[in-house]
Amino acid sequence: MAVHAEPIPAPAHDDHHHGPVSRGGGSPWLGAGWIRAFWVSAAFGGTAILITMLIRHLLGFPHPYSAEVAATFGLTFGAIGFTVGIGCFDYWWGYISGQPDWVQEDHSQHGAYSWRDYFRVNTDHKVIGIQYLVTTFIFFLIGGALAEGVRAELAAPGTQYVSPGNFNALFSAHATIMIFLFVIPSFAGIANFVVPLMLGAQDMAFPRLNALSFWMLIPGGVIFMSSFLVTPFQAGWTNYAPLSEHGPIGDTFFTIGVQFAGASSIATAVNFLATIVTMRAPGMSFWRMPLLVWANLATSSLVVLGTPFIAGSQFMVLFDRVMHTGFFDPAKGGNVILYQHIFWFYSHPAVYIMMLPGFGIISEVLSIHSRKPVFGYRLIALSTVAIGVLGFTVWAHHMFVSGMASWLRIPMMATTMLIAVPTGIKIFSWLATIWRGMLHMTTAMWFACGFLFTFVIGGLSGIFLAVIPVDINTSDTYFVVAHIHYVLYGGSVFTIYAGIYHWFPKMTGRMYDETLGKLHFWLTFIFFNLTFMPMHWLGLEGMPRRVYDYAPRFADLNFFISVCAFVLGASTLVFLYNIVHSWKYGEIAPANPWRALTLEWQVSSPPPIFNFDEPPQVVGGPYEYGTPGARHAIVRFHTPEPELVTSRPAALPGGAVAAPERREAVLSAMKHILVVANQTVAGDKLIAALKERAGTEPVRVTVICPESEPGGAWVIDEARVHEATQARLDRTLTELRAAGVQADGEVVSADPYTAVLDQVEGSDPPQEIIISTLPSTRSGWMRRDLVDRVRDRTKLPVEHVVVDPAAEKSEA
Amino acid sequence: MSSHAATMEGDGPFVSTGEQQVSAYHESLLRSPVFLGMVMFIGSEIMLFGSFFTAFFYVRFSHPHYPFGGFEIPKTGTAINTAILISSSFTMHWALVSIKRNKRFGLVVGLGLTLIMGLTFLALQMREYHSLGFVPSDGAFPSTFFALTGLHGLHVLVGATLLSIAFVRSCRGKYSADEHLGLEVTGLYWHFVDVVWVLLFTVVYLL
Repeated sequence: MAVHAEPIPAPAHDDHHHGPVSRGGGSPWLGAGWIRAFWVSAAFGGTAILITMLIRHLLGFPHPYSAEVAATFGLTFGAIGFTVGIGCFDYWWGYISGQPDWVQEDHSQHGAYSWRDYFRVNTDHKVIGIQYLVTTFIFFLIGGALAEGVRAELAAPGTQYVSPGNFNALFSAHATIMIFLFVIPSFAGIANFVVPLMLGAQDMAFPRLNALSFWMLIPGGVIFMSSFLVTPFQAGWTNYAPLSEHGPIGDTFFTIGVQFAGASSIATAVNFLATIVTMRAPGMSFWRMPLLVWANLATSSLVVLGTPFIAGSQFMVLFDRVMHTGFFDPAKGGNVILYQHIFWFYSHPAVYIMMLPGFGIISEVLSIHSRKPVFGYRLIALSTVAIGVLGFTVWAHHMFVSGMASWLRIPMMATTMLIAVPTGIKIFSWLATIWRGMLHMTTAMWFACGFLFTFVIGGLSGIFLAVIPVDINTSDTYFVVAHIHYVLYGGSVFTIYAGIYHWFPKMTGRMYDETLGKLHFWLTFIFFNLTFMPMHWLGLEGMPRRVYDYAPRFADLNFFISVCAFVLGASTLVFLYNIVHSWKYGEIAPANPWRALTLEWQVSSPPPIFNFDEPPQVVGGPYEYGTPGARHAIVRFHTPEPELVTSRPAALPGGAVAAPERREAVLSAMKHILVVANQTVAGDKLIAALKERAGTEPVRVTVICPESEPGGAWVIDEARVHEATQARLDRTLTELRAAGVQADGEVVSADPYTAVLDQVEGSDPPQEIIISTLPSTRSGWMRRDLVDRVRDRTKLPVEHVVVDPAAEKSEA
Repeated sequence: MSSHAATMEGDGPFVSTGEQQVSAYHESLLRSPVFLGMVMFIGSEIMLFGSFFTAFFYVRFSHPHYPFGGFEIPKTGTAINTAILISSSFTMHWALVSIKRNKRFGLVVGLGLTLIMGLTFLALQMREYHSLGFVPSDGAFPSTFFALTGLHGLHVLVGATLLSIAFVRSCRGKYSADEHLGLEVTGLYWHFVDVVWVLLFTVVYLL
């Protein structure tokens, strides 16, 4: 007999408040929220500035007010004040001060009960995920608008609309916003929503830290953009010293904004790591985790270990600017190259921070929408880790022309090329995943396939750039611009789109419009390539990047690129319309529209506030598509079951059972036992068990031999296998009949689970079921917990007989 | 996959495996998300210090002698300060051991002493800054020196904040032999701050 798991203790949230309680008393000025956020932010920032002025006055500085100092402290404390005011610290304050009524299980900030809850500090990972995605998409639109500004200026040689300085500001802000406020946090948003569900957890490990991470991002973004109110930063997103140190005050804004975006990212990464390590559902071993989780494990490690370096580099720039230290000032004994080393030691791993979660999304989407297991699951997981490790050894390939130590070039070139190996493993594994799959070309799948195409191009131009002589020629040209957009737009952004389309039904409970989705894909895909492909050529011809003017011979191509870039930008509006419209009016989504196995699809759409009533039991790998009856996990609900669409949509309804025939009247006195067996059908133990049963009460037996075993696709001679099965069945029936048992049977082609259900819901339903399998270590059926599923579904007594033919043979 | 078969050995599909016992409700310290989170946060902090040490060594080895630029830093006074900080790690440990044996006196006094020593360290450090005779803008060596010691000082301040929280809570009767995860985490952070200082003192002051 198979043994049921011990009942898993129900989570301790039964007493949670249904609906957000009013926080912080009656007054909107004192309660957590936007009003308090504004005045606390202003108060913190203003007080900080006044205190610095007081200190400077006391220390005898001639001018108490310094714009740099005021910006540094005003922005920092203003941003902290914002997070305090919005209410990120309210709960912690209760803990810190040791208040006697401090409660550990406080869920008053958890979950969205109305749209207003999305505008508050919320500890629900699903709400935070959507907060991230919506916020970052707004930043994406802003960053995109800045890019269109760049393209407008570049549409013709000479000055069109902006001054050279403002042109620098446009592309600097474009890159900064896209990297720090769109790509990195929107992956955090998708992972926030999906990863805890995939793990079978109720939330992240630190829900309040999770909220704080999100709310730190907002002041970060506001700081970046408010630099346009003063003099914007113009030194590019790389903020190279000494350019940045002699730049306008906007550079101070940049260094502070990066700190908040970075702190947000580090806190999220620590949260993901703790969640993935400690919050997996029972049975969810590392090798059963979906690849998106693997990707986030690697990404989070990169963030935790890498991001402090950009924090360090920007602190040093800030110190050099504000305190006039000499880190990067050769006149004071500092070193300029040092900046690039520290900066790229983060910012190259950052490339993988911006790509690995996308790889995870692609693995999910390709496998689910081509109905095939991920090819080389372990290798993809390990290559993710390998990319993460190697990512820390390649930073100086950004510096081949910087004048750094020349011995560093060759090793960096070698390690950079080495990264192509794990990346290639992924690409080929994905191709093998969709090879001969049942491709369902949904919009998510189109974006995933488009990603494969564009990312390979971006990856290959990356290998060009790793080669020192090529790099020396193409450094700071449009070739590099083409490369980075092929990997960051054709790579990351395509995967973000794929992820949003894929999980949109889960997030909103509505289906998006496929036609508009496909229109969006084709517009994006075509105009993306038309925009960025010609840049390769421009770069090879020598057009420098980051310059507002260019030689007239590049004019035609640049005009073409600009036009395509505008259409590419407009294609985003199709997406925007589709998402907004579908969110409100879309068709109601079923729980599992893609018939996926991973856990997030086993709960309703959108998921319940606390995800799971009890931790799911994970019983198999996450991608066993094409294996009939395969299961990743068993999910139980205490409350009325949500409407689940399983791989077997609504079988015969209960009332449709055919009327009993005449023969049945005679036989109905006998207990009808259904025996399910294939390889073990002629096993001595099974026959002995049946004979024994026949001795105690009148029984009649129906034996079914479901033929489709796992790995059935590889059977070379189907006819011979069928014959062998039939022979085993015949032998069993003969033996049973000889023992006086009323026995009947057939070889069926369905998988065992479906075959049982066919019998149970058919014209002659059994009263009892006996399932005979190989010992559980070798049984494909047991691997997919057949016994328990049959028991759960049919509610009939199910006996499990284990037959070991090898042992029986040796006994004989 | 073979791993599935491996977990299925025994009498049924729901056989407990090692991983199954991992749950949000921690049994051991390393399985506690809070402790693990602090370990990883410290990993991140190590990298932050790493970036400043990188700057320090980069600048240091591009100059022939040390401290470059002809600056002098006091060793004796700082050695005393170092001793104070190291001692505070022991009192922290005493507090932790005390609460594990449910002795509240040791907890409160241990935390109090640790806090006082931490603040003393900060005060002496400020005094040292004042008496150095050079300021951060004087050159690359003062820059790296103030950045490293200042960053560390900031961490002592954060540690002292954590200690104050623990101190206030323990005075109000919180924590017990079974429930003192917050102390474990605070202690871990404090030891980290201590270890960083030992490294910093060795590299910047002694060598």
